[in-house]
Amino acid sequence: MPGDILQGFLQAVQPSSLTATALGSLLGIVFGMIPGMTISSGIIIVLPLTFVLDPDISIALLLGLYVGGMLGGSFSAILLNIPGTPSAAATALDGHPLVARGEAGRALGVSVLASFAGGLFSCLCLFLIAPSLADIALGFQAVDLFSLVFLGLTIICSFAAQSWVKGLLSALIGLAIVTVGQDPIMGSARFTFGEPNLLAGVNFLTALIGLFAIPQLIRNLGTSPGDLMAGATAPMIPFKSLLPKLSDLRRIRLPVSIGAAVGSFLGMLPGAGGPIAAFISYDYTRKTSRDPEEFGQGAVEGIAAPESANNAVTGGALIPMMTLGIPGDPVTAILIGALLVHGLAPGPLLFIERPDFAYGVIFSFFWANIFNLVIAFAGLRLLVKVLAAPRAILMPIIAILCVIGAYALRNSLFDIHVMLFFGILGLAMRWLEMPVVPLLLALVLGRQLEENLRIALTGSQGDISVFFTSPFSMLFLGLSVVSVAWSLISARRERSKSSPAS
Amino acid sequence: MNMAQRNIIAGTVLLMVAIGYGILTANLPDRSLPDTPGPAFLPTLITIGLLVLSVALLVGGVIDARRESEGTDGHGVPTRGWIALAGFTVYVTLLPSLGFVAASVLFFAGLMWLYGERNKILIGLTSILVPVVLFYLFTAGFQILLPRSPL
Repeated sequence: MPGDILQGFLQAVQPSSLTATALGSLLGIVFGMIPGMTISSGIIIVLPLTFVLDPDISIALLLGLYVGGMLGGSFSAILLNIPGTPSAAATALDGHPLVARGEAGRALGVSVLASFAGGLFSCLCLFLIAPSLADIALGFQAVDLFSLVFLGLTIICSFAAQSWVKGLLSALIGLAIVTVGQDPIMGSARFTFGEPNLLAGVNFLTALIGLFAIPQLIRNLGTSPGDLMAGATAPMIPFKSLLPKLSDLRRIRLPVSIGAAVGSFLGMLPGAGGPIAAFISYDYTRKTSRDPEEFGQGAVEGIAAPESANNAVTGGALIPMMTLGIPGDPVTAILIGALLVHGLAPGPLLFIERPDFAYGVIFSFFWANIFNLVIAFAGLRLLVKVLAAPRAILMPIIAILCVIGAYALRNSLFDIHVMLFFGILGLAMRWLEMPVVPLLLALVLGRQLEENLRIALTGSQGDISVFFTSPFSMLFLGLSVVSVAWSLISARRERSKSSPAS
Repeated sequence: MNMAQRNIIAGTVLLMVAIGYGILTANLPDRSLPDTPGPAFLPTLITIGLLVLSVALLVGGVIDARRESEGTDGHGVPTRGWIALAGFTVYVTLLPSLGFVAASVLFFAGLMWLYGERNKILIGLTSILVPVVLFYLFTAGFQILLPRSPL
């Protein structure tokens, strides 16, 4: 094991890996900063580049983008009061009032430092927890794996709070799409209509590009050119003002710790994600503060807690992704897809078959946090100019890159049509206010769900009691019930909170 | 169009999809062993789920439609979006015959105009430069063979 750790470290410090991580961080910050762009879209855009790179370099690039995107989202939240990513929404509450007081540098400096601390803490959690969890997961049978995948699918409930019917319909549409192609056990062709391109099924990444990128491109067309150029008013920030003062460092110690712990823990739970972690840590920090009335007026603690939390979520979300093959959020779902392209299946076997790669991922994640800090402090003055980038050039470039991404997976023009189909599906779902994430999760987990369900039922000759006799399976099914109940209670609380106001 | 009306349309469409999917599922070849789930097992469960939920969406929409009289199409596609979508379809259709560069130049210029750029020189230069650079970057740099014009 120490040898594997050393191999992983050496892999992550290869010049090519370090360059990819740094480039990923830079791109992530840029994509995160642009309102209307998400980390998922950023990853989708660079995906075609990763097909030709080695898997360790590809994952280093994507991890850098994931971590950088979280930080970049806070810059536009602070400077423009427009969160670049949903996770940065809580940061705007105190970040923008500080900008209004002429303390933009102070707000951004605290944000960068808190993000770094949160990310580093979650990296430590990833390093300590992931290998042990993978060891336990090695003993799972098909019955346990089905229940585990089922638990992963309960993430859907978190995204179906507004309408359970629409959330579940979205997931079922995803599962129906997964059944297209050869079935995983017998190899029989299903729903292919004689089209040979459909025999291998619908490629997950092609579907993803269509579902996320096309609706976003169309949505941005509805924004007036004035809104798109809002960033032209971003202020000039002297480098000196970015460095946090000692008094601020003292003030943010506790909020950063709260954010790091809450973010790392919630990141591990399916569906919780960055926005929830950021708001919970913000709320908890305000409750424990001596001056809660300062929150919302430009308190540095109100920036530190959510920023530390949303960056800590990244490391937390990588734990179930790497050890169990279960995505914690949409970005890790895309990372799973990107690894599968390279023939690497995230899960417990990753630590057995490719321990060097698994530890390399952890160390690349560490470097991504370091580069984030360096790039943010060194280049912030230039980076804020991105907020004024002309969308009339940026958006068409993204559209063309999406087409290349869909085509390059299998050098297939058919896949571009598939991407367009999913783009229209994504627009229709948005029109209906139907969440897309359940469909995405069903696309990632559907095949495993069917495979393990059928293997388990074949082994038990159709007896479903087998799912209630295995201890691991019982645990996962119990956790699924808790996950669903938690979503129901949270949704009810949200409704009761909003009803008196309305 | 209010949400209730949208739900009625979606419920009807999804109900038809569920029925079609169910018919295809019923016609799948059964190659399973006795007492074991075959290729039609999961699709059957999905069909049942789709039927129940699409009916629920439809009925919910009909009930809500009696209460809601007006509404706004909050997430509707803007007119420029429909044009872009049509452009995307034409671009994808023309890609095999025109090749990546020529088709992308036209598509890129159209999108720039839709995003509000009116400087014809800038549109002309950028829409030629970007597809050419991307073409050579991916074909020569990354060995991804993008479609070429057969002409």
